[in-house]
Amino acid sequence: MIKHKFVQTAILTFGLLLCSNNTLANKKNGRYKPVVPKVAKKDVICFALYTVHSNTLKLTAQLYPLSEYSNRNASLEIKKDGKWTEVAKTQVIEKGWTAPFRVENWDDSQTVAYRVRYDNDAIYEGTIRKNPKDKNEIIVAGFTGNSSHPMFGGDISRQDLVENVKKVDADVLFFSGDQVYDHYKHYAEWLKFGRDFGEIIKDRPTLCLPDDHDAGQPNLWGESGKVSTLGGAADGGYKQPGIYVQEVERAQTSHFPDPVDPGNIGQGIGVWFTNLNWGNIDFAIIEDRKFKTGPAGRVPKQGPRPDHIRNPEYDPASVDVKGAVLLGERQLNFLDKWTQNWKDANMKVVLSATIFCGGAHIHGSAKGRLHADMDSNGWPQTGRNRALETLRKGFAFHYAGDQHLATIFHHGVEEFRDSIYSFCVPSIANLYLRWWEPLEPGANRKPGAPSYTGDHLDGFANKVTNFAAANPEKMPSGNKLSTRAAGFGIVRFNTKSRDITMECWPRNVDISSPTAKQYTGWPKTISQFDNYSPLSWEVSGNLTFDVNNPVIQLIDNESNEILYTLRIKGKNYALKLPKGKNFTLKAGVDTPSKVISKSVTVGGSDQTISLK
Amino acid sequence: MDSVKGSFFSSVAKPLNSLYNSTDKNVTSREKLNFSVEGRGISILRLGTLLCFLAWAWVHFYWEGPYTVLIWNETTYAWAESLGYNWDEIVGTGANDGLFQTLLSQLYWGYLICAIMALSARKEKPLQLIVLCLGTLMMSVLMYAKYLKANSQLPMFVEHGGQMLMSALLASALYFGIKHKVTLTVAIIAFITTFAGHGCYAMGLWPTPSQFYGMTTIILGFEYETTTTFLRIAGILDFIVCVGILIPKTRWYCAIYATAWGLLTALARPVSGMSMELNYFGADQFLHEALTRAPHYLIPLFLVLLFKKQKNADQS
Repeated sequence: MIKHKFVQTAILTFGLLLCSNNTLANKKNGRYKPVVPKVAKKDVICFALYTVHSNTLKLTAQLYPLSEYSNRNASLEIKKDGKWTEVAKTQVIEKGWTAPFRVENWDDSQTVAYRVRYDNDAIYEGTIRKNPKDKNEIIVAGFTGNSSHPMFGGDISRQDLVENVKKVDADVLFFSGDQVYDHYKHYAEWLKFGRDFGEIIKDRPTLCLPDDHDAGQPNLWGESGKVSTLGGAADGGYKQPGIYVQEVERAQTSHFPDPVDPGNIGQGIGVWFTNLNWGNIDFAIIEDRKFKTGPAGRVPKQGPRPDHIRNPEYDPASVDVKGAVLLGERQLNFLDKWTQNWKDANMKVVLSATIFCGGAHIHGSAKGRLHADMDSNGWPQTGRNRALETLRKGFAFHYAGDQHLATIFHHGVEEFRDSIYSFCVPSIANLYLRWWEPLEPGANRKPGAPSYTGDHLDGFANKVTNFAAANPEKMPSGNKLSTRAAGFGIVRFNTKSRDITMECWPRNVDISSPTAKQYTGWPKTISQFDNYSPLSWEVSGNLTFDVNNPVIQLIDNESNEILYTLRIKGKNYALKLPKGKNFTLKAGVDTPSKVISKSVTVGGSDQTISLK
Repeated sequence: MDSVKGSFFSSVAKPLNSLYNSTDKNVTSREKLNFSVEGRGISILRLGTLLCFLAWAWVHFYWEGPYTVLIWNETTYAWAESLGYNWDEIVGTGANDGLFQTLLSQLYWGYLICAIMALSARKEKPLQLIVLCLGTLMMSVLMYAKYLKANSQLPMFVEHGGQMLMSALLASALYFGIKHKVTLTVAIIAFITTFAGHGCYAMGLWPTPSQFYGMTTIILGFEYETTTTFLRIAGILDFIVCVGILIPKTRWYCAIYATAWGLLTALARPVSGMSMELNYFGADQFLHEALTRAPHYLIPLFLVLLFKKQKNADQS
């Protein structure tokens, strides 16, 4: 019997490997090969992306190649009193054919029509929206993983996404990464991205965060721009030449608000981490790959790849090696200041490629269970904890992607649920399947909630609480988007009530239809204040102010560290604090400049505070 | 046990001894020279096969082979199911490995056996020669998986011609002799595919692999433009040696260049990647990269020997 089984499996191995793959069997399942189409001169402007921040408009027009034309200048015009007026000129950058415009002293209180001109032949029109400060609800549509490979449904039209964005009239578009999957032809595929989404991008602020595939590699541990030579890139650094990465970042991020700390990293690669203040929400845009250390050779081998841990008995502390970086000091310094600055902001949102935990257990199915994946932001644990400790000081909500698996997590550092929430959106087209499927049921679940929800330790022993996971079907399902759990996210930020509602939609549904269903576990609404509300904290007392929405700040008297800074809702705030500690309370209308009390503790008395 | 041990070691040691044993009193000096060349040629091929298969055995044992792209599709599952395997057996229950993962984790045995055969194979042992030929089949499957993983780029398959044909070349050399036209043809095909495949990438006929840029930048410190020029020139030279190896007057020089270039490019992997800061200096990550590429310099070296011999014979 054993012999029979052995012979059968041996035949199976070779037979399967040689003959059964889809690519060989069926040409239509082949990979997408991006090409740059030839277009007429009048169509050379493919699409345009923009942001407005601190009264500065930055708009980048993406052009088709201008090789056959001599002119390298493009202009930006806006419609003023019914007439088109030129507001900026720029020179087209030939490497990647981008035309970056910058207009300072921009009046963001008006919606304005714009058009990009190239010669007198090509015109591309769109709308610069006014800053939606007067809206209570800011809608941010989130996307990730724009796989183009037909064998995974990447050839299916994106028009359903475009139509749904129009229906909800999203205020901001957020593409968390992997807008481009071809590792050598970013330009060609970026143009396709523009053809697919340009219709909605041209009329609203859009943030595209270049991730690993955009940069031309399967995973990315940027290590401040070093050169990677290991297959899989787990040695850290960039596989593609710096000049390629620069072109990618120019195409996707040159319309971002100026970087807050603009020094280049290795190979002349720039940085784009910054913040965007829009609609009374302060968005931090961070680069969770660029400075991250590569694990190969740094951590003890625990699996078949340097970045994969398959040994469930391993010691999680053994991989939290000294010196391993996640966000890096430059970004942590920025985030530290960002959490303290509440000017024109009622809420804070952090946007990055992926979430701060190992948010999946089964990867790719045939590979079986993976205990931990160092491509996630669960590793290195110290870096992960530092990031969360910083972000929770501003009650920031985390919006991300990359996992190919939609999830909602409430993260913990010292205890479960003592830090921020994250929403990882599903892929537009899902190249690689993952499942959140813990072996043990989660603790402290809500009654009736699936067993995979609740409190868990991820593969790095990080504390996480799951509230939802849009697991794909167990059988691989070819190019069917529905069974591969593809989709997109919508987050509604109510800047008045301070509620955050996460929606997770499958592909090819009309989300305005009453019969349309979201993935199981969505929608979920949390409060902004849930992003830093440890269960162990106790009431100190009620604060009553004489102004609306003041900013408060608490400073630990022993360590002199800021516990948090927050723009409260309304005039009243029930102060909660850690037990056994003494804090200084500061407050102000926009900045917490006034010391209210130098000794605030649990069990303190109610206070009435005047800031007028 | 002793007899088993003795039999195994003698089967390995005997052909090795024969490589150096040219003192038979009954052979003429010309025959001695032939025998010495034959022995050296065989030893080069044995070494190439041994290093290549040992390194791949290491990859399969310590890391994993690139087979995901082959097994992760519906057709594969449908076929496995038609053979009586259910879903849980194929992919595992979640808590354990499924059939595919279990099978893949054992593949290193195949490479290890071929590595041993590289030492022990003899003309009189047809089974061992068959195993060497199966090594070529096994390597072809591996390279096919790499080819699919690389977006079905033809050069990705072609450039591994040397690695795929290495063990078959050894089997042919043992069975027919190193000068036999079958052996020579296989060696030439292995040579041309290896260098033409790399040349296609280096010249940019297909997107030049980012590692080519990375290694050049790290080792030579070139900027992007200089690196591009350097790689284009290297690519042109790759094609020139592919043609030159077919021309009697130039083939010996081409083989010498190819030996040097094959060795340098194989060494470039560990040289650019290893570091004092890494565990084991990064040897477990990078060293096998140079060894799997042993055919890239040892097949040309074999041709250097062969063509030198023929050159000398022609002159005499």
